[in-house]
Amino acid sequence: MRNTARSVAAIAALLTALFAVSGCATTPAPQCELSGTRDLGASIASAKSRLGDGCVAHFDRYVDQLIDVAAGDPTADNKQAFSDFLLWTSDEGLLSRRQAQETWNRYFNVKFVSLRGDYNNCAQTCPVKGRVMADMQSELADKERGLLQAALDQDSYYRADRLLKETELVLEATCRACAAGGR
Amino acid sequence: MKPKDRCRSGRDVAPALAIACIIATVPLLTGAARGPSLQLFPTTVLEDIKETGQVAEEMESGLQDTIARLDRQQQLFVQSKCEGAADDPGCAQISRQLGSTYMEMLETMSQRLPDMERAVNSTRDSLETRLRAELGLKMTPWTLQETLLGQQPEGSPSVEPKLRGRSGLRLSQRFRQYYQLVAQSGRNTEHSLAVVASDIYLDMEEASVLIAQTREEIGRATLLEELNQSFGVITPEMQAVVDGVKSILFGEAGQVVELAGPPPGSGEVAYQSPLEW
Repeated sequence: MRNTARSVAAIAALLTALFAVSGCATTPAPQCELSGTRDLGASIASAKSRLGDGCVAHFDRYVDQLIDVAAGDPTADNKQAFSDFLLWTSDEGLLSRRQAQETWNRYFNVKFVSLRGDYNNCAQTCPVKGRVMADMQSELADKERGLLQAALDQDSYYRADRLLKETELVLEATCRACAAGGR
Repeated sequence: MKPKDRCRSGRDVAPALAIACIIATVPLLTGAARGPSLQLFPTTVLEDIKETGQVAEEMESGLQDTIARLDRQQQLFVQSKCEGAADDPGCAQISRQLGSTYMEMLETMSQRLPDMERAVNSTRDSLETRLRAELGLKMTPWTLQETLLGQQPEGSPSVEPKLRGRSGLRLSQRFRQYYQLVAQSGRNTEHSLAVVASDIYLDMEEASVLIAQTREEIGRATLLEELNQSFGVITPEMQAVVDGVKSILFGEAGQVVELAGPPPGSGEVAYQSPLEW
């Protein structure tokens, strides 16, 4: 009799635990997938909605997807569409102004976000020249997607391409000169 | 030939005048015109470039015939299938001629090299100082890329150096082009000057290393000669020296580094984001 009571109590505890777990599972997780539309305006609206719902962690993936959507219908106006979207994220407090600037400039500006800093080149750039050049190369690939494929801005993309090569040559010479000065 | 003697030579008067005109014009067009902004080519650097070009020209003219003869003899050696046929009297004769011409080349170079080395090292050192000061210590990474981009008005064609990287030209011609590039650079072309200065500096570094190698080779060859050992055949080391000399002086086998050029401009006014730096 005592054993039966124990079994009933154990089953009751198990059932309670099961209800508790299933109760958590029914709480709706945020839906973070973007709508599958190929229209940039609609995709941006979808991204804004998702970000507003708490999917901020997916921001980088959204930008990546939006660039793909823009590349499907490339036009010079896409630059402004991305700028407006990034300004919105900044105004909404989802990204800092600096983060928004970095994202926009990485994809749509000739200048390289990877080549920045407050100290002189001998002190800051030369010790990590290889990494800086690798980062610039990677950024050029993003500029290709943004400037060239999404915004059809060939002039700016080819200028960025040339800037990368000029930077490589000039840094090679400058860093040798810096090193010679330290000998 | 001493500088005074060169001035007396009628043949050299015209080029000397041309160079003097360029030298007189360049500072007006470059550093002096721009004020204190970017001083990569002060008069001292230009003087060094000028002298290096002259010394290179003298060396080229002294070596051209010898190297051409060396090429012909080597071609004959290969075509006659002389490799490994040291016992053949004809091949032995070609080998001796090769060794003799190679020694002749080294002899000419040993006479010219000290001047060349001094001029090259002086150009390299003065550019090194300017690059370190102007681009290395005065500029941040961001100001460097702004300098390289320049401030060109919308829709205007970009002003670029016509010569970049290894040019495939004779050394003296290359210096002539460097002059022209610097001379043509007016306002708002500091980005071009930064590239040209870097290009010349890296060239001078390369030339300096080659000169040091060549001087070592001359020392080695002289020692072998003193030990009465004949060369017999062009060794890989000898070939490397000949190739290096040809590459630096005559631009042969020079790798031209092409930079991507922009397509024809659309002329439309580009969108400028408030996020743009």
